[in-house]
Amino acid sequence: MTESMIWWSIAIYFFIAIGIAILSRQGKSESMSGYFLGNRQMNGFVSALSYSATTYSAFMMVGLAGLTYAGGVGALGFEIIYFAGVSLVAIFGPKFWAVGKKFNFVTPSEMLGHRYNSKHVAMAVSIASCIFLIPYAAVQLAGVGYLLQGTTNGAIPFTTGVMLATVIAIIFSYVAGIRSVMWTDSLQAIMMIIASTLVAFLVIQGLGGFTALFDTLASEHPQSLTVPGTGLFSFITFLGLTIPWFFFSLSNPQVSQRLFMPASLRSMRQMLIGFLVFGFIYTLVSVLWGFSALAAFPSLERADLATPTLLASDFVPPLLGVIVMIGIMAAAVSTIDSIMLTLSSMLARDVYANLKPDASEKRQLLAGKIVIPVIAIMALGFAELELDLIAVLSVAASSGLVAMVPAIIGAFYWKRGTAAGALVSVLGTGAFVLFVYAIGNSFLGLPAGVWGIIVSTTLFVGVSLATKPHKASTDLFLKAITEELGRKKHTPSASPDPHNATA
Amino acid sequence: MQRSKWIWLVWTVVLLCYLVPYTLLTNVQTWLGSFLFWTIAGLVIIALNLYITKDFEEHGND
Repeated sequence: MTESMIWWSIAIYFFIAIGIAILSRQGKSESMSGYFLGNRQMNGFVSALSYSATTYSAFMMVGLAGLTYAGGVGALGFEIIYFAGVSLVAIFGPKFWAVGKKFNFVTPSEMLGHRYNSKHVAMAVSIASCIFLIPYAAVQLAGVGYLLQGTTNGAIPFTTGVMLATVIAIIFSYVAGIRSVMWTDSLQAIMMIIASTLVAFLVIQGLGGFTALFDTLASEHPQSLTVPGTGLFSFITFLGLTIPWFFFSLSNPQVSQRLFMPASLRSMRQMLIGFLVFGFIYTLVSVLWGFSALAAFPSLERADLATPTLLASDFVPPLLGVIVMIGIMAAAVSTIDSIMLTLSSMLARDVYANLKPDASEKRQLLAGKIVIPVIAIMALGFAELELDLIAVLSVAASSGLVAMVPAIIGAFYWKRGTAAGALVSVLGTGAFVLFVYAIGNSFLGLPAGVWGIIVSTTLFVGVSLATKPHKASTDLFLKAITEELGRKKHTPSASPDPHNATA
Repeated sequence: MQRSKWIWLVWTVVLLCYLVPYTLLTNVQTWLGSFLFWTIAGLVIIALNLYITKDFEEHGND
């Protein structure tokens, strides 16, 4: 594929996506929930595609294929455990949705602040999310940089790719907030699932079919079909990778915020199931790409080059290669713009509005919009550092975000949980995870990913037991869930009459 | 919502996703080993979620 072909494709993608972003506008959204939550009226289909696009980023097609290339089938196990973790949405989704509606929550941190009756909890969660998610966004940007550099043999340098993705992400966020982000996400998701499946099919055919591919692996790289295999996926490493990702759907605000958005529980179900089907296909495709690259190009300099090498190879027609490459770039953009929007909503709602309690919705929204490019520039800075192996870095972000998990679970299931418990758990775990990474991601033989959940649970439970819970806010919060989820069942209209409630 | 109890089956599948490939399948160097196991686990997870969230359909819209 030539450099001009790539530039033309980027231009075409950009104009189509901008068109869709503009079409997605629905009047002027001047409220926080209008701009950041699409007025809680998102339908299931768009939600499912956008949830998938936000979750599966450049990490998936570049990082997971690379991880398979480097470590074998363990990469599939890692991703399937993450995927199973999204089942948490089936349990927590309706609860988030119910309280979001009842109390008009815009961010998950706002929800925690309300539940534990503490502004400090909301602020701490927001700031901790920024500390861990900005590097995660940077990883996505770096993914684009590597990809464009790899497929063009350096004609499009790393920095150009990174800058390009940043600018596009800012534009998509600005056009119509979450609505333009979700619709452009959907375009990207549909394009990618078709194109990437086609690539997997063509490459596997080129290598002699599914059986031949696995025969080659069995004879030349037998360890790639087992764990611990080549050693990359030792059981401890596997635990360290999978535990944080298992809780991704709760711990990462850019996806947990999505639980406030569906128009109904029916839409939420469509979002969840749609995501699972999409994710399952996408996971298998990415892993098969990694395996195919290993069979066809066993001596690549870096595992992250598996995908670019495959796309630039003779197995893939140049046009399809370019489409997938643009799709991967769009995937990174769709993750970054969601992260930017979520972080800016948190900073506006939970930091700015808490410091300035008289700030109107309009002022909060303005603050949020100002913060968007600031976050983007910080991510750009991290991306320019060009750190190694994409997948591992992404997990560093997830390990830190696991700090929120006990406070979130406790919010719904443990009345005894307190603000002090939540605060100490979020701050203490965040600091501890950073410390473990600073000393080489191993403390007493265990990685930060394993420590995160142990430390945060211990701190949350321990400090909560030593302090007094705020009973009134707890009761109000839990009562709202029972009311909202119980009220409408079987009685979609009119006032429920307890004497006639025979259903 | 009794269906939500089925989530425990999801967590059981997750546990098996750790145990089986690292014990029974460590020496099965074909696609019929860990690759197939985790693929089937993924499909089971989808089926369980379909079942668990079936009640969501009954909850009325606004």
